[in-house]
Amino acid sequence: MPLEPFKTSDALTLGVELELQLVNLSNFDLTDASSDMLHLLRRASLPGNVTPEVTESMIEINTDIHTNHTELLEQLQRIRDTLVRAGDTLNVGVCGGGTHPFQHWPERKIFAKPRFKEVSAIYGYLIKQFTVFGQHIHVGCASGDEALFLLHALNRYVPHFIALSASSPYFQGIDTQFNSARLNSVFAFPLSGRAPFLLRWADFENMYFAKMESTGIVKSMKDFYWDIRPKPEFGTIELRVCDTPLTVERAAALACYLQALCQYLLTQAEAPPTEDDYLVYNYNRFQACRFGLDGSLVHPKTHETISLREDILTTLRKMEPYAEMMAGQPALEHLYRTAHEGSDASYLRQQYVERGSTESMVDAAIHRFRDGCP
Amino acid sequence: MPDLLPIISDLAWPFALAIAWIAGEFGHRWTGLPRISIYGLVGFLLADTQAGLLPRTDSVSIMLLANIAFGLILFELGYRINLRWLRTNPWLGVTSLVEAGGTFAAVYLVAQRFGMPFISSLLLSSLAMATSPAGVLRVVNEQRSSGQVTERILHLSAFNCVLTVFTFKVVVGLWVFQSTGDVLHALWNSLIVLLVSAAIGGLFGLAVPGLLKKLGNSGRDATVAFAIAVIILVALTHTLKFSPVPAALAFGLMARHRRVALSQAQQNFGALGNLLTVLLFVFMAATLEWPMVMAGAGLALALMAVRFAVKTAGVVAFARVSGITWRKGLLTGMALTPLSAFVILLLEQTRHLGIGLMDELAALAAITLLLEVIGPIVTQWALVLSKEVPDTTET
Repeated sequence: MPLEPFKTSDALTLGVELELQLVNLSNFDLTDASSDMLHLLRRASLPGNVTPEVTESMIEINTDIHTNHTELLEQLQRIRDTLVRAGDTLNVGVCGGGTHPFQHWPERKIFAKPRFKEVSAIYGYLIKQFTVFGQHIHVGCASGDEALFLLHALNRYVPHFIALSASSPYFQGIDTQFNSARLNSVFAFPLSGRAPFLLRWADFENMYFAKMESTGIVKSMKDFYWDIRPKPEFGTIELRVCDTPLTVERAAALACYLQALCQYLLTQAEAPPTEDDYLVYNYNRFQACRFGLDGSLVHPKTHETISLREDILTTLRKMEPYAEMMAGQPALEHLYRTAHEGSDASYLRQQYVERGSTESMVDAAIHRFRDGCP
Repeated sequence: MPDLLPIISDLAWPFALAIAWIAGEFGHRWTGLPRISIYGLVGFLLADTQAGLLPRTDSVSIMLLANIAFGLILFELGYRINLRWLRTNPWLGVTSLVEAGGTFAAVYLVAQRFGMPFISSLLLSSLAMATSPAGVLRVVNEQRSSGQVTERILHLSAFNCVLTVFTFKVVVGLWVFQSTGDVLHALWNSLIVLLVSAAIGGLFGLAVPGLLKKLGNSGRDATVAFAIAVIILVALTHTLKFSPVPAALAFGLMARHRRVALSQAQQNFGALGNLLTVLLFVFMAATLEWPMVMAGAGLALALMAVRFAVKTAGVVAFARVSGITWRKGLLTGMALTPLSAFVILLLEQTRHLGIGLMDELAALAAITLLLEVIGPIVTQWALVLSKEVPDTTET
């Protein structure tokens, strides 16, 4: 099936998807509850949409299309409250976090849906190990060319989103010393990484996708696990590097930061992206995963080493006028505080130090999701 | 030449355990039936009045071991119960009261119709309310199931066990009062025993996690500490003639809700739990005698049908309003079939009062045998149908 045409959407509109954890409140391990939750949520009037994810202990929610921070946050909070209520009815804890700190992956169950069974057959244990939880942000683009431009122009900012959203320090019961261990699981997939450097939609369609399709490796865009991928049927690009934050407030803030960045990039204020920008891409990405806000970056154009935290703070200041146009000021303020006080990964580690077990980290995450943060 | 008889009698239990375990493993592999059903069957067949391998089970030490086995299971069940759920979903509490209360009333009516004496009818009805925590928990663990049917049968089973112990003690109190006219004696043997037992369990639930915290057990496995505490608790309540059932359950509940630091404990108490389960199920079925089972069979079948129908209807009625599908409600109700193992333990405990209830309640012997074997099969079947059991064909 050839790639469908790129559907035009209103530029810079936003949509957010969150993959969330379903937790057993007795032992704080993941629990297979998505079918039961979905049944109940279909009866409640949930704003946005809710869908199953590949294993039974995950659930995915997504918002409608929004233009500004206020609306987006308000809807995310309503979705969260509905989820929490459903969880209360079924004795299931709902929380964010990029990984569950101690779940044992062989115990996961694949959700009964043909596509999930199919990928499970291809990838084997990788799929169960892929019980990790991400935030995906969609930004509307006026055309396929604009989508590809933004996708590549954003390459230098990908580490910002990794470090600000990082919430997966523990994996399989141990402190990985990473801030986002989740992305290591994503990297195990053969079609992960970054999109090929093509700036025109026609080229992408004919020179890349059609060829890949003829190899038989891919059938649709869904088969690519890239950090940022175009989504022609929505007319968006989708940023996929974020861990699901512990609160919907941070999820909304990250989305609005991306929106402001895209608006800024569309003004052509920066030198256009080139293939050589990607020389430092994987290294910078690693720095953000491993050290979070304390990491350092190599600037793709100047090749100088800069502190990731400093770079984020500078960029946030630069984004102020763009965010203001879309009522995104509170989002930037939220991220300022995050950059100073530390990410969710630091918060989780702190919980471990104070309360002494991985179970208490999950308990803390459940409370934080429910109560939110300003 | 040494006397052969005591030697054979000493060897009876170890061999019975081995036979039951082997039968359980092969039986489970060939037929897919729950292991505990097979243990029960083996225990019954080997008992004194049947094949005669096992001596009459008045042995205090085996009784104590069985109580410890049951104590471990009740502790684990208590540890998995979230009392807050009753507040966030009040319909769960309603479901429990309706299915248990309905069972009590229905069984009482049937027993009366069969001409059973008043007190015996009441005792039988209170015992019929309980779903076997051992049966349910072992099947859940064996099948590694999780989901609403699983969560709900665990909670409903814990609740209806508490209701059973409570009404049973009240009826025993009534019986003591009727036969002795001594109110104090009656109260002591019912409510006081119940409350004190639960209080002792609760104290353990505060003390053990506290001790673990003192030890600075971050990340360490707390299984051994909890197991030893359960053994002490059961021995203590057993010796002081209190009831180990509410004690162990309260211990688990308190340990869960008052946990100072969360700590990991091995599910099932690992190999120790498995070993004692074999013993528990063999022991319980071995107390049953074939002639009694036959004598009570008619009434038993009627009671089983009524119990099954009322429990299922009671859960289904509140399925949707409590947040699950009709189908899952139906399966939850059916999965409550196993009759509680502690029926036997409760009755054994009342022997010291001079109540030979077991002899009066022939029907109970038949029900226990049938439901100890059939009950777990129904539970397993319900869990499989509810798709809460991992698909073994998955890669």
